[in-house]
Amino acid sequence: MTDKTLPRGTSGAPPARFDGDKALALVCVGVPLIGLVLFFLYPMAIVFLRSITTVDGEYGLSNYAEVLGSSGFWRATRHSMIMGGATTLLSVVLGFIIAHGLYRCAFRGKRLIRAVIVLPLLAPSLVQALGLIFLLGRNGVVNQLFGVEMEIYGFWGLLIANTLYALPQAVMIIGAALVLLDARTYEAAEVMGASPMRQFRDLTLPAARFGILNAAFVVFIITITDFGNAAVIGGDYSVLATEIYSQVIGQRNFNMGAVVGIMLLLPTVAAYYIERRAMRLQGRHPVNAQRFVPRFTPARDLPMAGLNLLICLAVLSVIAIVFYASFVRLWPYNMSLTLKHYDITLAGGYSSLWITIWISLAAAAGGTFLVFLLAVGLRRAPAMLAQPLQVLAAMPAAVPGMVLGLAYILTFNSTATPLYLLYGTAALIGIVNFYHYHTQAFLTVMTGFRQLPSALEEAAGSLGAGLGRVAVNIIAPFVAPMLISVFFFLFMRSMVTLSAVVFLTTPDLSVAAVTIMRLDDAGLTSQAAAFSCCVMAVVAAALLGMKAILAYLGRNAGTGSDG
Amino acid sequence: MYLTVEHATKTFGPFVALDDVSIAIEKGEFVCLLGPSGCGKTTLLRIIAGLAETDSGVVTIEGETLSNQPARKRGFGIVFQSYSLFPNMTVAENIGYGLRIRGAANDQIAARVRELLELVKLPQLADKFPSQLSGGQQQRIALARAIAVDPRVLLLDEPLSALDAKVRADLRSEIRQLQRTLGIPTLMVTHDQEEALALADKIICMNHGTVVQAGTPEDLYHRPETRFVADFMGTSNLIETDVIRRVQPDLLQTRPDAPDADYIACIRPEHIELTPDADGTATVREISFLGNLKRIELDSPLGPLLVETHGAGGFSPGDKLALGIAPEHCVWVRDDVIGAAA
Repeated sequence: MTDKTLPRGTSGAPPARFDGDKALALVCVGVPLIGLVLFFLYPMAIVFLRSITTVDGEYGLSNYAEVLGSSGFWRATRHSMIMGGATTLLSVVLGFIIAHGLYRCAFRGKRLIRAVIVLPLLAPSLVQALGLIFLLGRNGVVNQLFGVEMEIYGFWGLLIANTLYALPQAVMIIGAALVLLDARTYEAAEVMGASPMRQFRDLTLPAARFGILNAAFVVFIITITDFGNAAVIGGDYSVLATEIYSQVIGQRNFNMGAVVGIMLLLPTVAAYYIERRAMRLQGRHPVNAQRFVPRFTPARDLPMAGLNLLICLAVLSVIAIVFYASFVRLWPYNMSLTLKHYDITLAGGYSSLWITIWISLAAAAGGTFLVFLLAVGLRRAPAMLAQPLQVLAAMPAAVPGMVLGLAYILTFNSTATPLYLLYGTAALIGIVNFYHYHTQAFLTVMTGFRQLPSALEEAAGSLGAGLGRVAVNIIAPFVAPMLISVFFFLFMRSMVTLSAVVFLTTPDLSVAAVTIMRLDDAGLTSQAAAFSCCVMAVVAAALLGMKAILAYLGRNAGTGSDG
Repeated sequence: MYLTVEHATKTFGPFVALDDVSIAIEKGEFVCLLGPSGCGKTTLLRIIAGLAETDSGVVTIEGETLSNQPARKRGFGIVFQSYSLFPNMTVAENIGYGLRIRGAANDQIAARVRELLELVKLPQLADKFPSQLSGGQQQRIALARAIAVDPRVLLLDEPLSALDAKVRADLRSEIRQLQRTLGIPTLMVTHDQEEALALADKIICMNHGTVVQAGTPEDLYHRPETRFVADFMGTSNLIETDVIRRVQPDLLQTRPDAPDADYIACIRPEHIELTPDADGTATVREISFLGNLKRIELDSPLGPLLVETHGAGGFSPGDKLALGIAPEHCVWVRDDVIGAAA
């Protein structure tokens, strides 16, 4: 078709209708595709190539041989797997208790539980570690009050920190599986004579099993790829994420870092793949399902309420102690309160907080726009293009932030391409944040798109609206809540992420999470706490803003459209 | 009286779902709770099942009070509109679940499941999962699951509402047949008057949380007591007293002695006879052909009328007709609707 229209157009005759829709669809797919290739596929290829580049510049497996032959690597791998497994077990059990309490039990204060349980998401992961040190460390509250000294650095500290950090995800995923089961199904079992224990065993557990499996893999990935907690509280307990860091930053051994990165990539990709399969098995909401409204049953609800309270207290105390410690003059010797730690003495002061906010806003706005373009384009793209593109768009979630960050430094710190210009800029940090969280953003928007009836688009199309008009007038308003969610998701993650950006900051350009780590490294723990509180305040404000906007949109949608 | 509910009252905040409701079911009887949505019929069924509690009132079965018995101890069977099969169990496991809970032996369960699958005519589905079944199949299995334990009462909560018209009609007659054969006292909630007329030994018509009228389907159709029942059970021509007095005073002979506003005349569309008559007072406005019958809209001194005929009468719009209404076909019903609206 384009072959025909083009010559006619140039020969001066009135062109047969230029197919603007097709061109626009091409742009919609093309721009995000170029982004994915340039800022995801290409860096990942580089990191792979560097892992097989030997000291003398040849290709070969000697790096792998060296890494696989070192006891340090095997120790870190063993630690990562043990830590991943232990955290997964603990988070899933605790997450199940919370989710079961929220959706299957009757007690008061569920809104409070929900609010407390998301707290770890508001802060960089290393804040759990900071809080634990203030609570259980040598100078911690517990030791001061009870004289119980424990070794918090290492396995146990890291296990607790990781568990607290992964808990919100476990609760959300298991909770989503628990609400799937129709209340009527329980009532049918009840009328048939099934006791509460039987209902739990025969209905709840089978219904939740894919959710549990799914949560397990997600928690496992989060744990083995997290860097912040391991860096702050891991102590001598080296894991793969800290191993990459010490290879790259400590020994400036990029190729070896690349090898460890690839080795970390393997279990993550495997876990991610299984998780996606498990999610597909979970099934859908039955049509006209009734929400289960539990009736108060003391034998079940009182112990569950107690357990929920206990877990929430643990989550809350770790965050709260950071907040409190940020005001204490000289922990633990002079416990009088002061604001002096909010005067950051490290070079740069608060500049990294402001720059992080700007970077996060840019990553959120640009990222939301790009995934929206991609989703619009995918609706019009031929299947042979759409399918591989969807797979590509879902790939970044399988890549640990450390590996993506390493890939970026290897790619953009090389003068071989003009992309070098991006190195050391805030823009590159924004880009890495977006592609780090590309999958979740993309899948959220796609969920919104799936709910969009195609008849709506077709009706607009038959009235004469082109793709551009349909996208602006029909699609965008319909998926607006999803776009808002994606924007704030990207903003909040960009505010707190550490693993992907830790390699990309320079002495002149730091981001909030890295500053907190440096403050902690410099022994300025109270200032690290103060800085963490500022970050949490920004993210909490963003979260509240998102809720307000979504509530506002929901109310407007509820009262019907306004012409 | 096999099962009774006495003086049941239930409120949800300011909303009164049930207002002093009493009903009774005889042994082997098929009773339909009929009414518009929000009339309290489902609440009543859930209270009988033990899935909801009353604010006051008692449920008894064979004279024994059930109020403190949880649903699982009552030995009832229930079928919901949404099928509600256990998604993680096969068809056979679903049907056998009640027996398994009661500790029956495996071969005993297997035999019973086979028997029930034959009964609902789906023996080939034993090893399928609910998600592999059509809606109609799922509902048959749900029915088999409910009767597997020989329930003392079978409760059906709009069991046919989610199904296609054809499947619905098939399953309707099967439910009827099954209930007759097994003799299980059955209470079904429905908003579909046709369903209630076809299935029930007794219909309990409810509105705004109260029982408006209870009786046989014939009672409710031919002798409605209130305007609500007349309206809800099929179509009817409702005519005010003063119009009847002016136009056809002979219909007043069956009217109870009460102020004009209290009662209105109810004449079913099939009870008006039409004769072509050039001097007739009624004029044909529109005719709809419904296959086995014709529905004719008329303008008449009684006001606009709806008439249904099976006859071949070749009327066309504009034709003049004479009306014939026998006094015994004019039922006077209490006007409960205007009062409620005002």
